[in-house]
Amino acid sequence: MTGPLDGIKVLDFTHVLAGPFSTRIMGDLGADVVKIMSEARHGPDGGTGSPYHVMWNRNKRILQLDMTQTEGKELARELCNQADIVIDNFSVGVLDRWGIGYDTIKKENPAVIYIQMSGMGDEGPWSSYVSFAPTVHALSGLTYLTGVPGREDIGIGFSYNDHQSGLHGTVAILAALNERLKSQKGQRIELSQFEVGVTLNAVALLDYFANGNTVSPSGNQLPFDSAQPHNCYPTAGEDSWVAIALQTDEQWNMLVKLMDSPEWALKSGLESVDGRIAQLEAIDSEISEWTKHQNGKELMEMLQEHGIPAGYVQNGNDLVNNDPELQASGFFFDYQETHPLLGKIRGDRLPLRFKRQNVSSYNRPEIFGESNHKVLKDWLGLSQSEVERLEHIGTVK
Amino acid sequence: MTKHSTTSDQYPLSGVRVLDLADERAIYGAKLLADLGATVVRIESSTGDPLRDRGPFDNAGESLWFNYYASNRHIIILDPTDEKAKTELKHMLRGTDVVIDTGSLESRGMSLEDLESLNPHITYVDVASFSKTGPWRNYLAPDLVAGALGGAAATTGDTDTTPLKLFGDQSFLVSGVYAAIAGLAGLFQSSRTGLAEQIDISVHETIVSTLEHVLMIAWYPEFVSYANGNVLPRRGSLHWSNAYQVVTATNGSLMVTPTPDVQKQIAWLAEEDLHEDLLDEKYNDLSLRQVFIKRLMDIMSKWVRDKDAETFFHEAQARHHPFGLVMKPNELAENIHLESRSWWEDYKVANGVIKGPGSPYRFSRSSWKPPLETTVPHQDSEAIMRDIGWTK
Repeated sequence: MTGPLDGIKVLDFTHVLAGPFSTRIMGDLGADVVKIMSEARHGPDGGTGSPYHVMWNRNKRILQLDMTQTEGKELARELCNQADIVIDNFSVGVLDRWGIGYDTIKKENPAVIYIQMSGMGDEGPWSSYVSFAPTVHALSGLTYLTGVPGREDIGIGFSYNDHQSGLHGTVAILAALNERLKSQKGQRIELSQFEVGVTLNAVALLDYFANGNTVSPSGNQLPFDSAQPHNCYPTAGEDSWVAIALQTDEQWNMLVKLMDSPEWALKSGLESVDGRIAQLEAIDSEISEWTKHQNGKELMEMLQEHGIPAGYVQNGNDLVNNDPELQASGFFFDYQETHPLLGKIRGDRLPLRFKRQNVSSYNRPEIFGESNHKVLKDWLGLSQSEVERLEHIGTVK
Repeated sequence: MTKHSTTSDQYPLSGVRVLDLADERAIYGAKLLADLGATVVRIESSTGDPLRDRGPFDNAGESLWFNYYASNRHIIILDPTDEKAKTELKHMLRGTDVVIDTGSLESRGMSLEDLESLNPHITYVDVASFSKTGPWRNYLAPDLVAGALGGAAATTGDTDTTPLKLFGDQSFLVSGVYAAIAGLAGLFQSSRTGLAEQIDISVHETIVSTLEHVLMIAWYPEFVSYANGNVLPRRGSLHWSNAYQVVTATNGSLMVTPTPDVQKQIAWLAEEDLHEDLLDEKYNDLSLRQVFIKRLMDIMSKWVRDKDAETFFHEAQARHHPFGLVMKPNELAENIHLESRSWWEDYKVANGVIKGPGSPYRFSRSSWKPPLETTVPHQDSEAIMRDIGWTK
């Protein structure tokens, strides 16, 4: 493994998405990530044979420990003592009950950076509340604000806040790691996934505090800025759409020209964005008539060639099979090694392209216990016979 | 946990110098570094920063958008066409640890080698809408278009709506956080190796990397039997797993789910004698798993309909069920949990201060930097650079 975090040891007590996404990034950046797992209690992401797990757990070595055993807890504590970073997104208190909470670990490893990525944070009346990404989306306003007028039951169609929590957690860890270079000291970081979600709606909250406005869901229209046309329009084919997002009156003039200057588009008032916003529904309806029999990709290309911001609405199949941009940049790749349970698997690269450092090494996701011996030798110096003894008594599986 | 420090050397990034040349695609990355205590200079042209035109605005016409995303900056006016400005920019680059850019240095003809000749330790983060040599490199991609091409829009919305953009500039908040990660990773690397680095970021790739199940279903369609081929069409709030959904209750809406303990959820329904056939042995057949989940979600939706949304949310959470109340901005602004954590910050505007979001993370030994600076630009760049000690 090479990369900016080469030599940094990360001990990973995470599951589902937010925590694993953060440790995936650190592994991609060259850190030695050891993920503690248990086949008996693998959580909702389905275990190491699950495609969901496979998506977020490459570039990590898996050590299977029985944390119900005293020896399992003791091994975990010794691993914590070797770690530069300990990351935890289990429920608050789980690691404390295992005897590896920050206050315990820092006594023997004062340089450790220890991050707890909880749902609601350490303190406060909701601190014991449990959450998954859809919970946080609802509570943080992300569900309410992403939708169409008159509805509050749509929201974001994927676990966006889990990704953002993983990304923000990585920012905090890297900031603490840089700080440690100067101070030689570690620290604990508390991340609230709820507060990450609220932060992502900052402008709506500032508008409320400054002006008393509660912004409503507005579909594809911009609630605070003037832009029109600004929507997704149907194109030929099943569930096929093109997004058009004009930013200037010049772009509108060009669009009118490309539509062969239809009578409706030449009406007085439409040359200004305010005039177009006043006729929003009528304009959207006319543009839909113009787009609906056209090929979405060709229409996008034609509009972009003329300086009009437009994008074909791509689904997962488009992304992995037909996206010329991702194909050209080599964004997707085949893992060199087949997965023991899933066979040949694919991945998406870290979207950070280092010009000098070689950061393009991707080890396939491991299965339960695959690195037991290697991790315990590399991190704790245990011999093969010692690990075999631990396997025999079921501490290591 | 420390919220604010009384001394500037207790910020995690105290002493780190960042040059912010970013537009909306990466300004959030520069903000994250600024709020972590880096000294951040942002360059504005004499004709003004176009991001000052982003709404919402306060009653004095000041952009709240800009005030938030340009917090904790020293804003300096430098005209890109001015020869003196070019010299000043080079002077700044000599003292810069991290540059967060969206193509402006490249448009001035500066390469990594040029930057390195000025400063052998510099980390240069350059964010573009697409890869620099790809077929879409010249495409214009504001947030709606970025989300459409990136796969977020196709997955958001309902069967009876168009594909939807996410609220705000979420596409650029993703690329922005990646920019901060790139800057910090480069800074760490440079501190250890002493070498310069350039890290290019495509907004498009960042969005594709954060779609949860979308790539998984495209690659493993057999894993989700109810997908349409290798795509799960947008479906409102219904999670890809079928086990989370927003439903209408009394006086609001609730996100309900039987996870992570389905048996516990059924036991709760049974307490109210509403479990219907959920305990039927036929559901032990794993091939009926999705039928069972749908049946359970249907029963839960009916069950919640007559409940008061807020009261029932707290009741569910008291039982450790991860239900979520659908909250609006005004409700968040009055939220007791955030208030009790003293989470909100005061942001300086021309007319005084307004409340706004605080930090999503807290450090035990370092602190987050409160947004003390106004976003008023400074004309005398040399004086400002001298004041903040940015010399090399």
